[in-house]
Amino acid sequence: MGWLRRHRSIIPYLFLLPGGLWLIVFFVLPLLTTLSVSLQEGSLGSGYRLTFNFAIFPESIMRWNEQFVRSLQYGLIVTILTMLIGYPMAYTIAFRGGRYKSALLLLVIMPFFTSFIIRTISWKFILADEGFVLGTLKDWGVLDPSFRLLATPMAVISGITYNFLPFVVLPLYVALERIDPKLIEAANDLYATRRQAFLKVTLPLSMPGVFAASLLSFIPAVGDYLNAELLGSRQTTMIGNVIQRLFLVNNDYPQASALSLVLMVGILVSIFIYMRVLRGQELGT
Amino acid sequence: MHDESSIERAIARALRPGRRLSRRRFLRDSGRGAIVAGSALSLPAILAACGIGPAGSTAGSAAPSASNKVVGGGEPAGTLNFANWPLYIDQDDNGKSETLRMFTEATGIEVNYDEKIEDNQSFFGIIQPALAAGEDTGYDLMVITDWLVGNMLRLGFLEEFDVATSVPNFVANAAPKYHDPVYDPDNRHSVPWQSGLTAMAYNPALVSEEITSLKQLFDPAFIEKYSGKIGMFTEMRDTMNLTLLYLGVDPAKATVADAERARDVLMAQAPYVRGYYGNDFAQGLADGSLAITMAWSGDIFQLQFDNPDLKLVVPEEGAILWVDNMTIPKGAQHPNDALAMMDFVYQPEIAAQITEYVNYICPVPAAQEVIRQHAEEADNQDDADYLNAVADSELVFPSEDMLSRTYSYKVLDEDEERQWNELFGEVVQG
Repeated sequence: MGWLRRHRSIIPYLFLLPGGLWLIVFFVLPLLTTLSVSLQEGSLGSGYRLTFNFAIFPESIMRWNEQFVRSLQYGLIVTILTMLIGYPMAYTIAFRGGRYKSALLLLVIMPFFTSFIIRTISWKFILADEGFVLGTLKDWGVLDPSFRLLATPMAVISGITYNFLPFVVLPLYVALERIDPKLIEAANDLYATRRQAFLKVTLPLSMPGVFAASLLSFIPAVGDYLNAELLGSRQTTMIGNVIQRLFLVNNDYPQASALSLVLMVGILVSIFIYMRVLRGQELGT
Repeated sequence: MHDESSIERAIARALRPGRRLSRRRFLRDSGRGAIVAGSALSLPAILAACGIGPAGSTAGSAAPSASNKVVGGGEPAGTLNFANWPLYIDQDDNGKSETLRMFTEATGIEVNYDEKIEDNQSFFGIIQPALAAGEDTGYDLMVITDWLVGNMLRLGFLEEFDVATSVPNFVANAAPKYHDPVYDPDNRHSVPWQSGLTAMAYNPALVSEEITSLKQLFDPAFIEKYSGKIGMFTEMRDTMNLTLLYLGVDPAKATVADAERARDVLMAQAPYVRGYYGNDFAQGLADGSLAITMAWSGDIFQLQFDNPDLKLVVPEEGAILWVDNMTIPKGAQHPNDALAMMDFVYQPEIAAQITEYVNYICPVPAAQEVIRQHAEEADNQDDADYLNAVADSELVFPSEDMLSRTYSYKVLDEDEERQWNELFGEVVQG
């Protein structure tokens, strides 16, 4: 104890130890393994050798350029859509929820009680070309017989939006819930219209929530492969599908690792730009 | 939650009204389709992937060394660790297999039956590190598809046995087609478990003409009217080999130039294709999303109980006969027990019992009579009808004529496999 008392400054680091170890074992080491694997050459049969094959990075970006761009696009669209749908939801629950607040929040997280794979596969059954929704509408002549929802970009984007919506609503709710209603009243007292009060008070105060929510939808959406796999087609292949196939079908571990790293760097860069833009805006106001 | 395809099966089952065979196996997870999503979540595969050592890993080089000695001829040890695919043996409602029970009764060998194999490629990923290190994989008997038999043989990962003395029932009862296959000459390392066809199927309700030729699956002039209703397989070997047949090339003799031509054909077809499927093609065909599709015979046989109109076609140009084989991994602890099992299931009575449940192509022609016999002895009409349907189906007991029009997958060496994967990757993922 005496030693600790003399080296008081070390105590905060001791608190960091469990989390730090966890990060080293489950994040840093796998990341280094991934890096090492990506620089190897060979095959599963005859073994892999570390050859420091750095050329694999530019090669994979060139080869899968289209899928990278598509993933980033889908991620961006999904983030905007979830925000447009999720913000009014969170706002309503936080400010108009009243005594139903908990019940409404429970409804938001309700889908988590079922595996998202099962929910996504269910969409496949519900929206099948001749399934009970489209089939019925086609029988009534409302839809053209060749109309379909599945295997289109819209199906994939809707699927991802649907799956990540709760991740957006929850942080937005927390941010909005914290806002003191008196601040909005004060704005009204100072002759702000409701619109002005929202734009000048509520929205800026909820920005940390918007920031967290957009990251929580953008990052997993870009890397998602399940929705594209189940609801999409060849024309909606995302980078996650490519990585998945390389890893588990082709057993081409180096290529798959290289793509994973490129994806990670790509997401980090986009987030960095996003943060810069957001901060710039805050300074501007 | 370990396998998306089993969930998909369960949902399909639940949503399917009045399914007569509901308790029988619905779709074999023919994970040959590697139904991608699910297997990606299989932790062992991912761990195995991480396990490849960095610097100078000599995986593989150690393996073939060991011994070229032949296993068998000894006393069984009394234990058998058996890795197989899900729903690939007869099972009652509690998951107990009569075949395994009878085997234990007859031989005294206890079986640890493990439905471990969801997909050839990822199963190989799991056992490869042990094999490369010259260690026991923990399995004595495993069921793998013919091309993987070829691959593992090349790597020296399979035990050799003398089929004449160790598996006499195979020699006596297997159909001629299964002797001396291209992927394992003289059956020195493998005997078939079940097999099936990779061919094509269609839904006559959505297709106005009779489908007989691969042209009607590949040629844009024919398929334009079914645009968006054409299904292909996501499994590289199935799709590439069938495309080669369309081009008139025997897959076994295909060169890389042929594979490139196959890629070109598939790229031209791609705009009309709805998707590249695993075993979920069956759902697409059943719910009307697909009009014409590549198909596995066993799935169509099952679907026909719901929709007798669905048709499986062995095209004029031929079809692929794939064979899942019983093999003994190198270093197995109980090879004599594994050989005992191989011999046991080649008795017509036992082969019939398995086929009645799994509905794939039975390698034992004599089982057909046994199943007819069972139909006569059945205590209700439903069971009798079902058993007769199994015995009479060309999809379970194909005629010699049908078999003569089938080809095997090409066994690819490492370079070819990489090239084919790359070519096919352009097709399915752009």
